[in-house]
Amino acid sequence: MGDFIKKLSLNGRLAVVAFALGFLALFAGTPYHGADATVNTKELALTMATYADQVGVSTLADWIIQGKADFRVVDLRSEQAYAEYHLPPAENIPVAGLGQSSLMHNEKIVLYAEDGTRAAQAWMLLKAKGYKGVYILRGGLDAWKDSILFPRIPGNPTPAQVVEFARAREVSKFFGGTPQALAGDSTAVPQAAMPKLAMPASPAAGGPGAPKKKKKEGC
Amino acid sequence: MMAPFFKFGLFGDNLGMVVAFAVGIGFGFFLERAGFGNARKLAAQFYFTDLRVFKVMFTAIVTAMLGVYYLSVFGFMDLSLVYLTPTFLAPQMVGGLILGMGFVVGGYCPGTACVGVATGRIDALVLFIGIFVGIFGFSELFPLVSGFYNATPMGQLTLPQVTRLPYGFIVFAVVLMALGGFAGAEWVEKRMAARKVEA
Repeated sequence: MGDFIKKLSLNGRLAVVAFALGFLALFAGTPYHGADATVNTKELALTMATYADQVGVSTLADWIIQGKADFRVVDLRSEQAYAEYHLPPAENIPVAGLGQSSLMHNEKIVLYAEDGTRAAQAWMLLKAKGYKGVYILRGGLDAWKDSILFPRIPGNPTPAQVVEFARAREVSKFFGGTPQALAGDSTAVPQAAMPKLAMPASPAAGGPGAPKKKKKEGC
Repeated sequence: MMAPFFKFGLFGDNLGMVVAFAVGIGFGFFLERAGFGNARKLAAQFYFTDLRVFKVMFTAIVTAMLGVYYLSVFGFMDLSLVYLTPTFLAPQMVGGLILGMGFVVGGYCPGTACVGVATGRIDALVLFIGIFVGIFGFSELFPLVSGFYNATPMGQLTLPQVTRLPYGFIVFAVVLMALGGFAGAEWVEKRMAARKVEA
């Protein structure tokens, strides 16, 4: 073998290398890594039409408070925006990184960004890649702020609204928000500061009864 | 760091121009060093006396193919993001025929004409001017030919898609084709050289 290679010219050696690499290619598989996909458009349209692709913010808040662990929340925004504020259980996966993420095909995944658009795009990508339980957080982070962190009550509330607001206030406190109490004139209330990131990150440990117990995010 | 760099935002349009310039200079340099600035050498391949164009081009194809394939397999680049010229079968066959005829008659293809101009060859300069006259004429007549220009669109095709064979199989087949082609080219060149001596 050594003699054979020594006898070869440079061109001959390059030809041997090309042949070897070409032969190995037979077993090296596809270079595309599943970038292409086909989708069942009817199934997707039906899912959209029945709103089976969405989760409301209050539903998600309940899941978190109850300490459910059968879902993953994905923050699709930039690293910087994620560092400023994110939902307690959320992990940061920008859209371009969805293909290489550790998300499993059989997991329940809730996607959110600022509003619904980016999440809807990511939803489509993941559905095309064959993920089953993907959901969009309805209204995104904007809705989360409005309904969960800074709930408002109208000027002349009905008894039902008062009850509802009392509940919303507890939820808001749990997530470190500021309920906008009895703001008859909403413009008079300055936008409250976003809660600091040291929120009850582990709902199972904190629980609704101990909203003040704080834990550093990310551990 | 993932390739293609432009698609992954490593540089934008402006720096892309600089990169294109550097790559173009490199491309022209190696064309010139391979002897592609000389119309006689280029045309010699059509008479089977000097098949260096075939050998250089096929070597480049095999090198690029193996490089791109293995970079993608090992995850250093995303082959699905590399731009492919869409296939328009009929107009591209006609266009290839016209370019081939021009190559035989003029002794240059567009790229090698630029190389020839850079080394100061008059014949390359004439062909170079001809290219721009042709481009101008084609652009003026485009409304007349636009129907044919867009005929038989087949999208961005690759050999694995068309043949429905595994990608690695196509890679191996092209390597074998190239090696066979090189051996055949050497054999033809030797025969033609022998015939020349006899004559």
